[in-house]
Amino acid sequence: MLAVHQVSRTFQNGKAGFENINLQLQRGEVVGVLGTSGCGKSTLLRVLSGLDPQFEGSIRTEAERPEEAFGMMFQEPRLMPWLTVLDNVTFGFSKKQKKSEALDLIETVGLQGFEKHYPKDLSGGMAQRAAIARSLLSQPDILLLDEPFSALDAFTKMQLQDLLLSIWEKRRTTTLLVTHDIDEALYLCDRIVIMRGQPGQIASEIFINRSKPRKRGDHRLAELKEEILKELDFTKP
Amino acid sequence: MSSRTETTVRPAARVNKARAVKRNLSGSWLGLILPVFIILLWEYASRSGWVAPHLLPSPTTVVNEMAALAQGGELLGHITITLYRVFAGFLAGAIAAVLLGAATGYVKVIHQLLDPMLQALRAIPSLAWVPLFVLWIGIGEASKITLVAVGVFFPVYLNLTSGIQGIDRKLIEVGRIYNFTSLQQIKKIILPAALPSFIVGLRSGLSLGWMFVVAAELLGASQGLGYLMVYGQNTSAPSLVIGSIILFAIFGKITDEILKRIQTKTLKWQDNLENAS
Repeated sequence: MLAVHQVSRTFQNGKAGFENINLQLQRGEVVGVLGTSGCGKSTLLRVLSGLDPQFEGSIRTEAERPEEAFGMMFQEPRLMPWLTVLDNVTFGFSKKQKKSEALDLIETVGLQGFEKHYPKDLSGGMAQRAAIARSLLSQPDILLLDEPFSALDAFTKMQLQDLLLSIWEKRRTTTLLVTHDIDEALYLCDRIVIMRGQPGQIASEIFINRSKPRKRGDHRLAELKEEILKELDFTKP
Repeated sequence: MSSRTETTVRPAARVNKARAVKRNLSGSWLGLILPVFIILLWEYASRSGWVAPHLLPSPTTVVNEMAALAQGGELLGHITITLYRVFAGFLAGAIAAVLLGAATGYVKVIHQLLDPMLQALRAIPSLAWVPLFVLWIGIGEASKITLVAVGVFFPVYLNLTSGIQGIDRKLIEVGRIYNFTSLQQIKKIILPAALPSFIVGLRSGLSLGWMFVVAAELLGASQGLGYLMVYGQNTSAPSLVIGSIILFAIFGKITDEILKRIQTKTLKWQDNLENAS
């Protein structure tokens, strides 16, 4: 579905960013990218989404028009404050054509009744729900999520993680999730890629062979968490 | 599986509209108390001879004089020509400001090319242009409209460019995720995002426009409310001057109110104090 080959993007004379990333995503796979701050994991998403065109290496997708392969969701909702929820979800498309689809998505993310509200009337969690719906409307081949829930409180975060799981069950969207929340990655992903260093490189990969939905207190996940923490060992250079 | 997303969220209860209207009304009544009191005091002062009537005629005298002028149709002529100058100048100035402001706000090279010069021109007190405009385009309508347009231009231009430059980069990035062309970026993100500061610019431009029309008419006109003031001064008729001032106030307020209504209507999405319910 996605093949990233030897992709590098560095800043500040090679001291920040990431280099030599190789990554393959299978159709329907949910892959998490974990890493300490400054390891270039968000930069990786910016490169993949086309926001940062100055990279080396190759990125291949199966889409006919590669620039339309990706849907992106940011840490902040980034809704257009002058548009209603419905108009935000259909943003970039003809409202007429996509209206019923958008209404479906709004219902899926639990925002029915708010179609005509402006973003200022939404809570952080609701705004992020709208952002989820917007990123899904284009039916992207690959959904890129950049720490999508890191600005939310713990309970809202769990609700939205469950929402994502139920959406994946229905749509099987291939997803790349960048996060610094180990529990989130363990709860949502089929595979976790760990990035380390400055510039960041892929240090290891962990497969999570547990069927979803998982229990948040699963002992196997706890063991994996231990492993990941060791791998991320912040004292190592 | 649907039980996992059991969170239901309901629209907030609608604000009681009737109550809000009532509250607004009582608010505007409150604002009337002071002006009414001052007018009554003024009337009393003139009648009881506290102030000399040939310097400050009573409100009723002013109203009577203006009404007499209005009956001959003369007043309407003055008002119409002044309004025409303001609107034509406002339109010309605003259109020029939108074109230049959008170009300098969006294209960096044009900004570097034009903005320093426009900023330097802005430093010239606009009334200083009057002699030049009169020399160039004569004493007719065109020079007055040009002067108003110059006054309107700068606030609109400045607000629009700073509005465009202040747009959140994060929203622009959303457009890039959608692979928008420049035109789509402008239409779907930049213009709506810059709209609040644009309207602020229009409002301050309009008030400057009114100021400049007075200046233009004071300096050389044979008609218009500003001319009426000069005429009142030369014939020692303070009621004409005061009447004109009041008419300026009324029309300035009405036109600003129109823009303010447009502002509230188009910007009801803004998360600010005014829209807080």
